[in-house]
Amino acid sequence: MRPALLKEIVKGIFMKPVTIQYPREQTPIEPDFRGRHYADLRKCIGCSLCAIECPSNAITMVKVPEGYDVPKTNARRMFPLVDYFKCVFCYRCVTVCPTSAYLLSNEYRLASSVPIDSSSLSLSTVPKMGGV
Amino acid sequence: MVETTHLIEIPLTVEIPVGPQHPALHEPLLLKLHADGERVVKVDVITGYNHRGVERIVEKNSFYRNIFIVGRVCGICNTVHANCYVRALEQLLDVDPPPRAKYLRVLAMELERVHSHLLILAIAAELAGYETLFMYLMKDREYVMKAKEILTGQRVLADYMMVGGVRRDLDEVKVSRLMDLVRRVEERVKYYHKVFREDATIDRRLRDAGRIKPRDILAHSLVGPVARGSGVKTDVRAQDKYDAYGEIPFNVVTEEYGDSYARAMVRFGELYESINMVNYVLAHLPQGNPVPDERKLPRRFPSNETFAAVEAPRGELTYYVSSTGSDKPYRVKIRTPSLNNIVNSAFVYVDQMIADVPIILGSFDPCISCMERAVVTDLRSGRSFSVPLKKLGGVDG
Repeated sequence: MRPALLKEIVKGIFMKPVTIQYPREQTPIEPDFRGRHYADLRKCIGCSLCAIECPSNAITMVKVPEGYDVPKTNARRMFPLVDYFKCVFCYRCVTVCPTSAYLLSNEYRLASSVPIDSSSLSLSTVPKMGGV
Repeated sequence: MVETTHLIEIPLTVEIPVGPQHPALHEPLLLKLHADGERVVKVDVITGYNHRGVERIVEKNSFYRNIFIVGRVCGICNTVHANCYVRALEQLLDVDPPPRAKYLRVLAMELERVHSHLLILAIAAELAGYETLFMYLMKDREYVMKAKEILTGQRVLADYMMVGGVRRDLDEVKVSRLMDLVRRVEERVKYYHKVFREDATIDRRLRDAGRIKPRDILAHSLVGPVARGSGVKTDVRAQDKYDAYGEIPFNVVTEEYGDSYARAMVRFGELYESINMVNYVLAHLPQGNPVPDERKLPRRFPSNETFAAVEAPRGELTYYVSSTGSDKPYRVKIRTPSLNNIVNSAFVYVDQMIADVPIILGSFDPCISCMERAVVTDLRSGRSFSVPLKKLGGVDG
């Protein structure tokens, strides 16, 4: 008895491979894929709601370093630091934020040999005083 | 003096451990086979290699954080876990989601059923030694993963359910893309159905492997496609009509014979039903806003207890949620279909060939991370009770 899949296999030999040669080739990704996100410090009021609601405890509230100009609404000068190794990308922080301060992206390439977090991305949203 | 009249010879029984790390099993589970030659005489199902204590973690987190934690009980069926828990919360709060949200929930759950069934059919083919078919099925499963990505924002862990609705809406462009993907999947499913019916390898390996009589299904309370494969018509979608299942037409697929092949055919039948349901939902999507404002949801839950059930791809999944009026649940009891189907099905392996054991286990669609429990048995009285993992480890909680 002939295997029923034989025709498909013969066709497959002449087909282009379906596997994607990542990272040499980019994988197709949706623009609204839940990827890397970080707080926009121009909008953040430091309320800690995202840190309380995070199911994987990936967000810690930290002080904004001296020299960064944050708006007066952020009186405590706190901002959420997302640990991307702990984050499960459920976007609960994004949906509970009272000021919609999170900036979203579909960046999924977050493999790294050193711990990565959102501090540099978040701090780059506000000007640094002292002309640097 | 007693005269010797009989000589009793006990045949040699070999004990073969299959698992917890075994090439045929993808998840850590130990099947301790007692075999007489090539025939299995007894099987002990031993679990406990993947215990994470989710029920305990859930008691320590708030109601809303738990929506995302229960989704991680099982990767393959995460939307049904989240849906069941969210519906339990909605019953506590007496909230009814809008019709569009109900339809979108059905859409997400049926897409999940399609990819779950395609996965287990692929694994059934692989366990039968047919790795080419496994690769082809997994290739076409990617269409469904893409559809889930378009709908929910991620391929596997959807995080799509929220109290009072769903977490993102569909626009017209996405609807037409989903329709296109589903059309392609349907075409391929028809082809693989033909392969499963006509192929000699599948026929020889799956037929008559692990036949279960309907009476045994009821006696051992097996659920889902395993029960339907033996002609027991049980489906929570048809019985409970939760979310929009009361408005969407579908049939409960059953097969009569009850072997591994019948269970595979039930899954094919359900694939067609799910694809039809997805098409119906996409064509009849009600208007309105399905996304609740998560900032305005109530923080505290009234003191009460509630119980919800869904039809997961593997069978009936139930959640019991007890609230004492705080922001955390007092108790969440999860009963997964795999626990019933794997632990209670040790009788099926008896008198089967050793080589058929992985195929029979594969036909039950095991999900090990769903079914880990810590149970302590008091040997003096024979009484069993569950304890949290912390107590077992000697740590005071």
